[in-house]
Formats: sequence, structure tokens, C-alpha cells
Amino acid sequence: MDRLMRHFPAFGLWLFAAPIWAEVPAFELVLKDHLFYPAKVEVPSGQKVRLIIHNQDDTPEEFDSFDLNREKVVFPQRKATIYIGPLKPGTYEFFGEFNPHTARGEVIAVEVKDAD
Amino acid sequence: MWRFAFAMLLMAASLSIRADGTVVDKVYHPIVLPNEHRVEWRFMSRQTEEKNILAQRIGYGQSLSETVTVEFYLLGERDRDDNFGIEAYELESRWMITEQGRYWADWGMVFELEKRHGLDAWEASAGLLMEKEFGRNSLTLNWFSIYEWGNDIQDEWEGEFRMQYRFRWKPQVQPSLELFVGEDFVGIGPALMGIQRFEAQKQLKWELGFISELSGVTKDHTLRFVLEYEF
Repeated sequence: MDRLMRHFPAFGLWLFAAPIWAEVPAFELVLKDHLFYPAKVEVPSGQKVRLIIHNQDDTPEEFDSFDLNREKVVFPQRKATIYIGPLKPGTYEFFGEFNPHTARGEVIAVEVKDAD
Repeated sequence: MWRFAFAMLLMAASLSIRADGTVVDKVYHPIVLPNEHRVEWRFMSRQTEEKNILAQRIGYGQSLSETVTVEFYLLGERDRDDNFGIEAYELESRWMITEQGRYWADWGMVFELEKRHGLDAWEASAGLLMEKEFGRNSLTLNWFSIYEWGNDIQDEWEGEFRMQYRFRWKPQVQPSLELFVGEDFVGIGPALMGIQRFEAQKQLKWELGFISELSGVTKDHTLRFVLEYEF
């Protein structure tokens, strides 16, 4: 019991931090002239994925999505990584807060059929 | 889920819950965004059998980096003669420790330093913030450790716990259930929060909650309200 209590802090940290050891699949997007390319991104449902956004504009943009529950500032000429999911199959809208009429897109989570 | 519930129990058990004053307040989220400025107004009215406690605060804050934000508050309270005046000053800083969505839960910290107006009474607190998503639901937990000192106050350690379980229905309407635990106080009740976006980073956030003391022996209800404009 003493031994268990000695290691209790590390055990507690493990319980909460639980990092994702496996590599998280990445999907790249480019922001240019206040437009997202591609504007529709297909990702597998049921697993965590990364959206990597390269901002090629000279102004900052804020990636915003209520559907995905994410907000992230992407500085000019830099890239930003946004972790999303695991998502249920469906369509999730996102937009750029600074240019909401042009910078718009969708993440489409699709069920991946087992190859077997 | 079982691992989460077990961890919650361990963390709650390790807290020495001992706090006085008003326990019902804002539930902090661990997310920080750069380039943000905000003004905030908080209103709290606590009604017991004997009296009504009215407290308000206004604050200004801004991000210092991609992960750190700082805010300054003026706190006002109605005194025993029914006069409303400045009661304290507070400096607050929030730190986003983990990237949103990267780990099993999102983590942050909040640090506060408060001084009572005209008195040698200080309060420093550190809070651990956690948020976990379950689809369209979010569970937010705050654990606070507080130390009070000064010639006009008894030196003591206190602890507080806050919880919010929120359903992200639509941006403007996000119903939630809130729980607050402090010394001689366990309160629970419904709340509503929402956000209205305007152009660029401009947005208005609001929170409204009605918290009732759980023992129910005597009347003890708190109405809390937050209005926050970000720009």
C-alpha cells in the first residue's frame, strides 16, 4: 500500500494526461486570399485527426468552428495545428473569423470500412 | 469513462475543502486565444433568510501570448449599511497548458491575487482547470487552492471546487448544470451561456446561473450573471 501511495502522483498524472501515443493522421489545408483549399476535407470518423493549416496570406486568420468546438489563431505566413475528433459521421462547418464570407469550409467525417 | 470517474474521485478526495465567503462564481475554461482584449462585468446576488449579498466586478483583460492572458478587476459589494462601493482589486492570469483537443482532456491554470480595499487583507489563489469533450457536451472542472493573509484577516488556507456540464446546443444557447463546493456550502443549479459573434474577433459572451444550496435547511439561492465583450 505504501508503495502504491508513493507512486500516487505519477499515477494521477497518467490518468489525466493520457497522451496520444500513436501518430494522429494529418490533413493539410492552405489559406490563400482568404479562402481555404480544399474547402471540403474528408476525415475518418471515430478517431482523432490533425488539421494543419498553412496561412499564405499576409494577415492573421482565426479558425473558428462551433460544430468542432475549436478556435485557433493562424498567424500570417505560418502554420497551425488543430486537433479534432473523434467525430461521428457527418458534416462540420468551419470559417475564418476575420473573413467569414470567403474563408469557409467543411470537415466531412466518413465511416472507414474495414479492408477485411 | 471508468478511469475518468476514478480520477475525479481521487482528485476530489485530495482536496481539503475549506472556504468561506462567496463560493458561487465563474467556472473557468482552460482555453486562451492570442490577440484578444476583453471587458467583463460579473453580477452576483445571494439571497438567504437573513440578508441579500450583492457583489459585482468589472474587469479588463488581454492576451500576453498564445497561451497566457492577464486581467485586472475592480470588485464592489454592498456593505451592511446598504451602500455599494469598491471592496477589492484583483489581478488574474490564465495559462493554457495543453493544446485544445490534443490530449484526453484540455488543461490550464488560473492564478489570482486580490487585495481588500483600505485593509491589510490579501488573498492568493491557484486553480487547476480541466475541460473534457463528450461529443456536443463539455465537462469543465476547477480546483482552487487559496491562501489568505494580512493584519486585518486571519491567515488560512482554503479550497474550492467548481464544475460545469454544458450541452453545446447552439452558439447563443448552451444550457449547463453547475456545482460549487466550499466550506459549509454545496450548491447546484441550472445555467445558460451563449455567444454572439460580430465581425473579426468581436464577440459578446453571457452566462446566467441560478444556484441553490443543497442542504435546503434554510433559504440560500444565488443568481449569477456574466457579460463579456471580446475585441
